[in-house]
Amino acid sequence: MGGLLLDNTTTDVLVRLNKRFSPDDLIEMVALQKEFGIFSSAHSLRQSFALLGIVPTDRAERDRWYRYLDKLQAYRSDVSGCNGHDRIVRALASALEAEQPMPVHFGVHRASDDDRITITTGHPVIFSLATYFTISIPTTPSRVVREQAAEAARKRRAERKMSHAALVEPRQSEKRLQLEGAVL
Amino acid sequence: MDDVTSRRAEGEAPNLGRICSDVDNYYTARVARHGATPLGVDWTCQATQALRFVQLLKLCNFSEALSLNDVGCGYGALVPFLAARHPGCDVDYLGIDLSRAMIGRARRRFAGPRCRFAVGAKSPRVADYSVASGVMNVNVGYSRRAWEMFIESMLRQMHETSRRGFAVNFMVASPEQGADDEPDLMRLYKSMPEPWMRFCRAELKCSVELISNYGMKEFTLLVRQDAGAASNTLAH
Repeated sequence: MGGLLLDNTTTDVLVRLNKRFSPDDLIEMVALQKEFGIFSSAHSLRQSFALLGIVPTDRAERDRWYRYLDKLQAYRSDVSGCNGHDRIVRALASALEAEQPMPVHFGVHRASDDDRITITTGHPVIFSLATYFTISIPTTPSRVVREQAAEAARKRRAERKMSHAALVEPRQSEKRLQLEGAVL
Repeated sequence: MDDVTSRRAEGEAPNLGRICSDVDNYYTARVARHGATPLGVDWTCQATQALRFVQLLKLCNFSEALSLNDVGCGYGALVPFLAARHPGCDVDYLGIDLSRAMIGRARRRFAGPRCRFAVGAKSPRVADYSVASGVMNVNVGYSRRAWEMFIESMLRQMHETSRRGFAVNFMVASPEQGADDEPDLMRLYKSMPEPWMRFCRAELKCSVELISNYGMKEFTLLVRQDAGAASNTLAH
């Protein structure tokens, strides 16, 4: 999502996630959680989603997907003291382990509006009457991320040029003086 | 679905060798495309594959050493699962698969003195237990009747090569989906449990335990040799 994944990959994994945690597949996910405790503090999201085969179809994108999942540990969440990664793990565990298990909907929101991972309950799927846990992940359009990265690179280059010039200029002045001295 | 026993009596004799050859081709193509992964053996993911193993292995008594035939073993996914799930048990494992490509991958990954693999449709040895996961699910283009006769022959072979019992899983047909309403040629074979339970009881003289509430659209049969029937199986 954002700068780490292609837009197509984001769509791909969101579809996969929303299929696996949908009301239709919920019984299977509940059984898997009961048997193996897939979502717990003992496993990272990278491990859990790999086990469930929730990975991009595009093999070239898989490493980036795993890196993205790891990076969620650096995200903030709507619970203070709990990072985004752990917030998602706990939300999934509680949805599947509840007395009345709940389907989970994964969505995204603009990081510029709220940079935290948020969990709410509601009806995000308008054609479904089921109540879902909704996990919303802050994201930035990949084009914006690329533009920001390009701007930052330009700035770095300009700074390097300035500092290089600052180093080179006194030496050239010294050389000029030496030459002038020799001529004199 | 009709009682499979009565279907057998109708006299169609499918060419089991040809079915085996087509099954071999199907899975060889799968593993060539997806590699030694759950998708390579037609499972959606490692977690569901493991959940099936949990059900099948309910047959076995892991408090003592045992021998196990894994029919349709694929690339040997059961081997690491056994090691992780029952680390203290001495299991003499033999994986059997029609696909030479699958067995090649299994051998490269897991072969050892207590973990062997063989190419074929039938186990070359009698073991305490046999398991088969997903072997009956993908009908590779035969009529339902022909596929059921293939299943019967697989169940008979598992019965003959298992001293204590065998376990097998099937995709479950929805109750409203009667066999007679289904097209004859279908890719996935689905069934209700009762006909196969009847078959195992009546034809194989075994006791049968049904497991169906494990969150998947399928069921597992644990088929145990009755004390009297055990002596009818092949000798050691």
